[in-house]
Amino acid sequence: MAYFIQLVIEGLATGSIYGALALAIVLVNRATGLINFAQGGMAVLSTFVAYALYHAGAPLALAILGAVVFAFVLGAAIERIIVRPFERGDPDTAVVVTIGLFVLIGGVAAFFFGYEPRQFPSFFGLETLDLGGVFVSVRSLGTIVVLALVVALLQLLFRGTKLGLAMRAVADNPQSASLSGLPVSRLLMIGWGLASVLGVIAGVLVAPQLFVSPGMLDFVLVYALAAAILGGLDSPLGAVVAAWFIGVIENLAGAYIDVIGNDLKIAVPFVVMIIILIVRPQGLFGRKVVVRV
Amino acid sequence: MDTLTRLSKNLAVRIGIGVVVAVVLVVAPLISSKYVNYQLGLIAVFAVAILGLNIVMGYAGQVSLGQSAFLGLGAYIAAYLVTADLPIPPELVVPVSLVLCAIIPAAVGLVVALAAARLRGLALAMVTIALPIIGIPLAKRFREFTGGSQGTTVSWLRAPDWTEGFLENDQWRYYVVVVIAVLMFVLARNLVRGRMGRAFRIVKENEAVALAMGISPYRYKVMAFTIASLFGGVAGFMYLGIVQYTSPETLSFHTSINMVAAMVIGGSASILGTIFGAIYFVLVPTLANEIDSSLTALISGAILLAVLFLVPGGLVSLPRRIAQVARRLGGRRATATPQNPSDEARTPGTTAPESTEKNKGKRQGQ
Repeated sequence: MAYFIQLVIEGLATGSIYGALALAIVLVNRATGLINFAQGGMAVLSTFVAYALYHAGAPLALAILGAVVFAFVLGAAIERIIVRPFERGDPDTAVVVTIGLFVLIGGVAAFFFGYEPRQFPSFFGLETLDLGGVFVSVRSLGTIVVLALVVALLQLLFRGTKLGLAMRAVADNPQSASLSGLPVSRLLMIGWGLASVLGVIAGVLVAPQLFVSPGMLDFVLVYALAAAILGGLDSPLGAVVAAWFIGVIENLAGAYIDVIGNDLKIAVPFVVMIIILIVRPQGLFGRKVVVRV
Repeated sequence: MDTLTRLSKNLAVRIGIGVVVAVVLVVAPLISSKYVNYQLGLIAVFAVAILGLNIVMGYAGQVSLGQSAFLGLGAYIAAYLVTADLPIPPELVVPVSLVLCAIIPAAVGLVVALAAARLRGLALAMVTIALPIIGIPLAKRFREFTGGSQGTTVSWLRAPDWTEGFLENDQWRYYVVVVIAVLMFVLARNLVRGRMGRAFRIVKENEAVALAMGISPYRYKVMAFTIASLFGGVAGFMYLGIVQYTSPETLSFHTSINMVAAMVIGGSASILGTIFGAIYFVLVPTLANEIDSSLTALISGAILLAVLFLVPGGLVSLPRRIAQVARRLGGRRATATPQNPSDEARTPGTTAPESTEKNKGKRQGQ
């Protein structure tokens, strides 16, 4: 039983990392209707900034803060300069723009830092706690707590502030929002900036485990996409729950089902996802989209 | 520019262009190095794979991020069949494997599509992206068929005896692959110009309208997906013919998304655009690598974005785009880059004169 609980907690921790990136994807998708394939790349580049600041002598907390600021500016700038001209055009072209960004940003990161994986210090020490026979690393608990905090803050932002209300209005109907005097273009930039910040949170959380390298988040991005779509693209809470679900199910299946083992466990969440989507095409928490003729 | 467009409509000119292209395709391998033949062969391979993608995505409007899974599946089937001891005459091994490389991926695609075609948009994208993700560990697991993560090297498709003296192995492989590619392109062209192509277009445009016209969106989506898988499998066969090696890397979902990018770059819902897309897919990374091998990703990404900014409709719309820009330049006699490429691509007729007038006003003001 202790082993089972351990596996669940580790799963929740991995799921939290998927969840942070999934939230970024949901945020961008709600604001601009796009799936941003560059989300992972942007996060990696920002994580590299944290790495560079840390090695330049800044304390870890300050380095991460610097990366968060960089991520916000990067996200906002990319929306304004590169994505904006394609937002109203053909959606396929817009998605390919984000693929181009994904390749380009990976190239920028590789240009400055190379392809060699680099060590990154963890924000939460390396201790392990003994909670009545269940051994849990502080890092796993910390990761889960950080994501819970992020979700709470986002809820607060979207439900409790004027800025959040305005952003929801833009996501809901950009034209009406613009007609009621909201600065739509600035709000879109803020949305992309926030998403980029969520990405760097995922990056900093996962970096001590995976090491920092340009391709670090490629796989995390695919899981995050799965979580975002499984949770229903318009529901932040759904995305997080789906991400946790994916992390836990992956961990449990790998440990308990012999045929699957360590190599095939990455396939398990996708098989489960396909089954769920076929039963509930709108995702677990999504609203059914009614198409008008 | 107008004369050019008129010329391209002329039947004699079209036949002439066809003959020139055919001659170039036939002569090219005879005068090129092995390396060039390899690159040309790869272009043919990915042209067929991207063609399949274009049918399901460009024509039928269903996002697919799983094309590399079918490419890899085809390559593995070919690798297995040509090395296995099949109870058939040796000269039949290659044609039989080609047929199986078409049928098996198509069958897999059909099964996936029967479930996935209920979904639309991004959910469909997710299910298709799962194919390469699941495929890679599976390929590593079934080592006896696939050679595990090392992959399998096969030496096959050598030039037959009767060509001895005038055809090298690489030239023979090129011809085999190009003949298959031409056949697939003719097939695709007839398909999208016929009843099925029209049905695809209406399904892409509006499913409810399709339904009202007696066209089942579900059935046509399944069909488009199956056809795309078939093209992917055939491309896998060709891939093994040219590269002589396949590994789980062939399935990688990066290949899939790069193929989607190449399809849009070439021109969505365009047969000719598919060829441009394949040339882009093969040559740009090579080119970027030649410029500076440490900057390959950076340069490829920059080129991709630049093309999208300059020709958002894909390379196939380049002549129209040049005409458009030339008309605008003629009006204002100044070099200027377009402010909003995507808008202009939508309304090529209206924006040009309007912007000229605006500019006249500006010049008077100065």
